[in-house]
Amino acid sequence: MYTQWIELGKQKGLSELEIFSVRNKSLSLTVYQGKLDSHVKSDVEHVTLRGIYDGKMSLVRFENLSTTHVETLIDRLIENAKALTVSEPAIIFEGSPSYPEVKEERYDFGQIPVTKKIDLLIALEKDILDHPSVSQVQSTSYQEIDTKTTLINSKGLHLTKQNTYAYAYAIGVFQKDDDIKTAYDIKLVKNFDDFNAKEMAETTIKQGLQKLGGKTIPTKAYPIVFSNERFADILNVFEPIFSGEAAYRNLTALKDKVGQQIFGDNINITDDPLHDKSHFKIPFDDEGVACYRREVVKQGVFNGFNHNLKTASIFKTEPTGSGFNGGISPTNFYLEPTDLTFDEMIKDIKEGVYITDLVGLHAGVKTVSGEFSLQASGLMIKDGKLDHAVKMIVVSGNFFDMMNHVKGIANDLKFELFAVGSPSVYVESLMIGGE
Amino acid sequence: MLKKNELQQLLDEGLKTGADFAEIFLEDTQSEVIRVTSGEVTSIDRGNTFGAGVRLILGVDEVYGYTNHVSYDDILNVIENLRSSFNNKLHVSKPLGDPLPIRSSIKQPMDQVSMKEKTSKLQHLSRIMKSHDERIVQSITQLVQTEQKILVCNSEGVYQNDLRAHSRVILMAVAQENGQMQQAFEGPGRSMGFEVFDVLDFEKLAVEVATSAITLLSAEDMVSEVIPVVLHNGFGGVIFHEACGHPLEATAVAKGLSPFVGKLGEKIGSDLVTAYDDGYVEGTWGSASFDDEGKPTQRNLLIENGILKGYLIDYRNARKMKMDPTGSARRQSYKYSPTSRMNTTYIAPGKDKFEDIIKDTKYGLFAKKLGGGTVVPATGEFNFAVQEGYMIEDGKLTRPVRGAMLIGHGKDILFKIDRVADNLELGQGMCGSLSGSIPVDVGQPTIRVSSMTVGGAGGRK
Repeated sequence: MYTQWIELGKQKGLSELEIFSVRNKSLSLTVYQGKLDSHVKSDVEHVTLRGIYDGKMSLVRFENLSTTHVETLIDRLIENAKALTVSEPAIIFEGSPSYPEVKEERYDFGQIPVTKKIDLLIALEKDILDHPSVSQVQSTSYQEIDTKTTLINSKGLHLTKQNTYAYAYAIGVFQKDDDIKTAYDIKLVKNFDDFNAKEMAETTIKQGLQKLGGKTIPTKAYPIVFSNERFADILNVFEPIFSGEAAYRNLTALKDKVGQQIFGDNINITDDPLHDKSHFKIPFDDEGVACYRREVVKQGVFNGFNHNLKTASIFKTEPTGSGFNGGISPTNFYLEPTDLTFDEMIKDIKEGVYITDLVGLHAGVKTVSGEFSLQASGLMIKDGKLDHAVKMIVVSGNFFDMMNHVKGIANDLKFELFAVGSPSVYVESLMIGGE
Repeated sequence: MLKKNELQQLLDEGLKTGADFAEIFLEDTQSEVIRVTSGEVTSIDRGNTFGAGVRLILGVDEVYGYTNHVSYDDILNVIENLRSSFNNKLHVSKPLGDPLPIRSSIKQPMDQVSMKEKTSKLQHLSRIMKSHDERIVQSITQLVQTEQKILVCNSEGVYQNDLRAHSRVILMAVAQENGQMQQAFEGPGRSMGFEVFDVLDFEKLAVEVATSAITLLSAEDMVSEVIPVVLHNGFGGVIFHEACGHPLEATAVAKGLSPFVGKLGEKIGSDLVTAYDDGYVEGTWGSASFDDEGKPTQRNLLIENGILKGYLIDYRNARKMKMDPTGSARRQSYKYSPTSRMNTTYIAPGKDKFEDIIKDTKYGLFAKKLGGGTVVPATGEFNFAVQEGYMIEDGKLTRPVRGAMLIGHGKDILFKIDRVADNLELGQGMCGSLSGSIPVDVGQPTIRVSSMTVGGAGGRK
């Protein structure tokens, strides 16, 4: 089918073209009050076809795979390419000299009967619900995903990769008097046997109990410690500033800063497609470029942007295997941990705030200026130890400024599901808006 | 495309699983995103979403399957995969009825307008922003268009097609001065084709966006305070959408995850608050003739003079709640089972004048434009970002401020609304929830909230 489409595109006048197909099979289950609440099964193949016409690249994405439809889309692609006025490099890649090997066994989640998966969720829900401070479990979810990716192009490149995993979590609602809090902990596995309902329930309960009884605090600047998960969230929303596309489009303050000190000299940020703690091991990007480990920021010095084929060509450098989903993003992007334990890191903080929750990351952040202002909650730090819960506060600051005032980085690196990771981070001071 | 009698047979196959309700949703959506950066046409992407979703319900239990292969056998295969789900006596589907006429019309469909005409309009707007001030270093305009064709049929005889067109123009400007960068953004849209350019004044808007980015360069960081907040009309309605709209959706109410559970007929807000969710206001971004269960949309009264009057309910939650559906079932695509969602949600206009509200506020924040926000339904806590704000001092708008974040509790804020102006406007956004990301209008006249927690990075000594 794909080679036939490549032929068709060539006949219609495309100089080069590429098919990028993702076939996604998934099962998702949710349980509510001891019963199956939803059961969704899917099988969808989504194709992106990129083509070069008269030196210009355009693309079409589609799910209707009938040949007549693909034919009209290729005509459309040619029309669209003609309408582009910008002159930018248009590259279909012949392939990297070699590709990293992903050493991971593929596990067939389909071999486990659905009833066993439902039982896992029922057990997880019950274990959480049994705790006296839990008023209910909002939803308990399981999802398994099997993704097969195929890349074929007119330059003879033919690559495939497959990724299979499952994850589960339950959202517990914790209540003490008038105070209501929710907590959850997502567990991602590559083998069904790695799920442990008891452990997952314990983590969720621990998190929920920590949050209860929170109060707001007086408005002023405090030393701030972000949990590893929350600092990963922040790194994730600011990740576009490291994109070669943003540099080219004048949308990042890091433009013209390659080779310069941009952050404190204790900051090391790495992109590692095969990091052993990461959830996803990635041999090549969506343009067929091999991924490799790169130190994006080393001792506070910016080593270079993440590039796809186009921006690498514009900046006369090598592509970094960062061409994903039509844009640019890293593979497993993380702040390097240190040897410091969390307890050691906070031991000298007399009065500070430990932030375990951030809400509204899609709204309260300006990547261009670096400003952020986010609803938060967490715990007070008193005399070097975690103390009572804090809620309904706003933490505000500037990312660039903050990265120059990091006083401590812990050893607890953790990757989030969106493939950005961080250890817990102690920032000298940020404004807290409270009462 | 599948014939009506084939769909009827498939629905019966669905009921053979033991379900008492079967539904098939077919979709063919074409989309196009044209992007112009500083006057150059930099990308034109074409997209197609195509497939079928099958939903089977027994009582209140539901299973859903979807695929992008839509032949009779493919859909039968989806049903077979779901077959083990229920054990029950067999039901037979009602004969499929005739579709009702579609209310919306597209004057200029996406593919009947030349690419040249589309790109030149965007280039023009991009240049307006870029040439507005030399400190504007980047201007981006995008035209995002979709045409979604659907057919939904179910075992209760519903057989309904619909055609939904959406056109949105996104304008973004970046200003730079002394190493500092600020961005401003607007993204108005309508349920229509390319004729959106005849309906909205984008040139005026482009100047506003560029001006806003420049204003932010000289804005001070907001100082954290608990103060009165005047929320301007239009997108200011996102406060009601997040803090009250979501908790009134059956997805939250049926599970008891909303502060408004069991409060019908009770006072939940100030007398000044009357609010609706309207499924169909001609041409508005959030409108649809029919919901994604094939039911005609309607105007739903949510709150009248502070008294809770109604929820937004889909078919399955109607069964759970033993109430009638309200034509509010929506989904991003066939990849989602439909559930209760908002369309065009707004606080009805009051009698106050905008100028008087500002004049009568001694000290506070005027939130002229809001960014996005979030609400946690179980706790009712919400937050939203102020994109453009000014301090109010002695009844006058004074300094611009940036980085303000408003936080609060849904159940408190409705009581704290003490002024409502007469200048209702709608604002457009994409709303994400259980059944995906869908276009919605938020809306309100200018309102004042007597006190809110406002966070910001300013005031450091």
